[in-house]
Amino acid sequence: MSEKDANPSAKDALVGGTLFGRWEKLRGREGTVVGITAILVAVFPYLFARAPVVSGFLQGYQSLATLILIWGIFAIGFDLLLGYTGLLSFGHAAFWGGAAYAAGIVAKNVSGDPIVMVVSGTLFAVLLAWVLGFLSLRRGGIYFSILTLAFAQMFYYMAASPLAFLTNGENGLTGVEVGSFLGVIHLEADVPSIGGMLLGTWLYAFVGVFFVGAVAVAYRILNSPYGMVFRAIRENEQRAEFVGLNVWRYKLMAFIISGGFAGVAGSLFTIHGAYVPLQSLFWTESGDIVVMTVLGGAGSMFGPVLGVGLYLYIENIVSTIQALTIPFTGIVLVRDFGFYWHLLLGVVFVVVVWVVPDGLWGILNRLRELAVDLGSKAAKRLRARSENGGGGQ
Amino acid sequence: MTLLETENLVKEFGGLVATDDVNLTVEEDERVSIIGPNGAGKSTLINLITRRLDPTSGDIRFKGESIVGLEPHQVVQRGVSKSFQTASIFPDLTVRENAEIAALAAERGAFGFEFLKHRDSLTDVHGVARDTLDSVGLLDRADTIATDLPYGDKRRLEIGIALASEPDLLLMDEPTAGMSPEETKSTVDLIERVKRDHGLTFVLVEHDMEIVFSISDRIVVLSRGGIIAEGTPDEIRGNEAVQEAYLGGVEL
Amino acid sequence: MSLLSDVLVILLNGLQQGAIYVLLAVGLSIIVGTLKFVNFAHGALYLVGTYAGLFVALNVPLSNGKLAEWGFSSFGLDIGFFAALIFVPLFVFGVGLLMERYLARAFYDRPDTDQILVTFGLAIVVQELFRVLFGSNSLPFEQPERILSFGSFAGLPVSGPIALPIVGNFPQWRLWVIGITAVLVALVYLLVEYTDFGLVVRAGTRDAEMVRLLGIKITRPYIVVFGIGAALAGVAGVVGGPLNVVNPTIGTNILVPAFLTVVIGGVGSIAGAVLGGIVFGLTTAALVSFAPAWSQVGLYAIAAIVLLTRPQGLLGDEEVTP
Repeated sequence: MSEKDANPSAKDALVGGTLFGRWEKLRGREGTVVGITAILVAVFPYLFARAPVVSGFLQGYQSLATLILIWGIFAIGFDLLLGYTGLLSFGHAAFWGGAAYAAGIVAKNVSGDPIVMVVSGTLFAVLLAWVLGFLSLRRGGIYFSILTLAFAQMFYYMAASPLAFLTNGENGLTGVEVGSFLGVIHLEADVPSIGGMLLGTWLYAFVGVFFVGAVAVAYRILNSPYGMVFRAIRENEQRAEFVGLNVWRYKLMAFIISGGFAGVAGSLFTIHGAYVPLQSLFWTESGDIVVMTVLGGAGSMFGPVLGVGLYLYIENIVSTIQALTIPFTGIVLVRDFGFYWHLLLGVVFVVVVWVVPDGLWGILNRLRELAVDLGSKAAKRLRARSENGGGGQ
Repeated sequence: MTLLETENLVKEFGGLVATDDVNLTVEEDERVSIIGPNGAGKSTLINLITRRLDPTSGDIRFKGESIVGLEPHQVVQRGVSKSFQTASIFPDLTVRENAEIAALAAERGAFGFEFLKHRDSLTDVHGVARDTLDSVGLLDRADTIATDLPYGDKRRLEIGIALASEPDLLLMDEPTAGMSPEETKSTVDLIERVKRDHGLTFVLVEHDMEIVFSISDRIVVLSRGGIIAEGTPDEIRGNEAVQEAYLGGVEL
Repeated sequence: MSLLSDVLVILLNGLQQGAIYVLLAVGLSIIVGTLKFVNFAHGALYLVGTYAGLFVALNVPLSNGKLAEWGFSSFGLDIGFFAALIFVPLFVFGVGLLMERYLARAFYDRPDTDQILVTFGLAIVVQELFRVLFGSNSLPFEQPERILSFGSFAGLPVSGPIALPIVGNFPQWRLWVIGITAVLVALVYLLVEYTDFGLVVRAGTRDAEMVRLLGIKITRPYIVVFGIGAALAGVAGVVGGPLNVVNPTIGTNILVPAFLTVVIGGVGSIAGAVLGGIVFGLTTAALVSFAPAWSQVGLYAIAAIVLLTRPQGLLGDEEVTP
């Protein structure tokens, strides 16, 4: 899983040569990863919302495609912390919601330039992550999860009441007016010509650029000394300390970096919705990102994004279906699905944590390895047969 | 030159005195073994030196400077490395990555901001890791996931990680515990070779007397937290207090 | 109204508010301390306790959720609050045993994060199950009028105001909550401090490995510890029910304050959990009176201050690295 994504060097020597090997080698290269991501991001809204047949089947829509990328950025950053460093934060709503509010408040009072909004929201999230990380990491292990949860809740209650003059309290921050990008491009307008068919709105393109950037940065971090140290801390924190690494500061950096990703995502969320619900600071948002990341596959680069896509898709589209049927058959799995979906999701989550801790991505990977394995075995058998002189039975 | 020095070192757990007024010195290039019956306080002493435990009183100096008050990783950065009693490795990483992490800490310090620098460019780190794996005989298994190694090799890797930190002083806590006779023999060979190649100063905590007497320059005997004897292997062999501690004690 | 009586009212309200935290925190604390198991589903046990209490004590009409849809127009045995106080803890004790046996035990040897994740998942499942059955809306949990009424014996009045010196009239039920909590916590304290069972628990808190080496079979105390912790959460649900709204989110909402109580008191320390609960209760009550906007924030601010100055908690032992 993760090791293969982030560390091609180990595999190079083994696979080499074959067409598949060459692909493996290419797959590991940074440019390839970023390039493929960019292509996927470019065709995603078309397939999801506009392509004949496919989109009709998926019933997706443009705005949900944008939302999936936004939460995807959040999840990639969250996974740097959970999947790679082994720290489970239940307080990331503070950075997501905090950045959303910061971006919204800046838009209302200073400038609605989308870049200014993203920068200020992200900066706020990074500073907040620095403070909360400093406090929460004072105690290791289980305390970290509890403390992050607690401090994030503190911000929720602050935004709800004492800071209502800034945040508009229970009603959420309304009246956010997002300006045009570089002063000329209205984000809600469609991209002209072929770009419009693929991407849809400028907003999607704007978010997409950040998403590809997030993938590139995360991929680079994982292949930097930090990636090594993060995984070392996850594997054996005590040993990491006793080889002479300042584990505490690396953990703080992991926390700040993931807070930064959450900040970018949160700011984009405000730009996307032009509104900040108070809910965005509530701990259930932290819970959602945990669920998405773990379902998709913590400790892998794209598993969490997959988790995000699945979660939001079920929440926004599948949940509106009255009866969940097996595709192309009339067999009804769950009647009144909209009523039960959250319960079912909880059950699936428990099962995943229990049985397949590497999530959906892990399952897919194992299937892929199985296929490769079967393939190479079949090839070997073929070769053996031909060496035996075209062998009969 | 005196490398390590403890002065009137005391550690109490509740009412129990685990380390009792220990004055230990280790000279550069010396091989010192610490022995003693179970519960004599050997591991506590090691844990005090590596700063895993806080002393109740007394001082620990390394290269003349007090290290009491430093964090464990700072002690490692000063040049004291430790191999653990159990194979304390990074199980899901490759053998190479295990060594690279230690080498990274040795070459690039306890902390840095290079989170956007590709690790392929860290040639110094790769070099140290390769040399270390070579010297513990694991280079041909560099791409194996560490958890897949047989137990003896895991312990070798454990020692390798400690060596890749490029220590001036290596503390080894029972490096042969739980090993088969063959594994023990190859580990002893490894220690001998490391001693020869790297001219390393080390402190060994060990139960196996054969190993202790064959590779130590000096032996320190602990009992009930205090030093009861120290000297060359020959001196210790004939020492009455040591025999008393081992044979007259409750255990053995 | 004098200043003194204001202060006393805040004190009493604070103690009552703290009592619920204490009941939850004592249970959590002995579970985390002894079993090293982090139970994010502890709030779910509180939720179960509240609904079970409602079921035993009263008979409330149902208008929402699947139960109503399936034709149950009301819900409950209506056999009185005292019966709830007896039966619900026993029931939740049983739930706790099941949880230990079939869930927690599979996770003792797995990383803390997995324990948190799986219990968090369980908390979601329980909450959603209640939402499906009873709907999202709040159910009325009326304060009991009297408890212990049998036949001709009218029982003890527990509701309505009682005249206290200086304070004047004060809702009687709140005093009962404080009293019930005090008795239960004292019982648990005696159990842990003065029995062989408690000895194993205390030793386990310090060093589970040592207890195992000494050859004490630790599985049974473990499961009982879990059961007791769960039962306390159940009691908290019953006594807390009439004081708060009753809906499916109460479990997850109370989890954070409960955990914070444990952390600032010091993990594994019953006295710490009590102290932490009282500190939180008093802070909240004082802020409700003087700065209502900050009433929820205060709790977290106190937690931050305590952790900055005493990371091991008010009455916690300093962490010893093994």
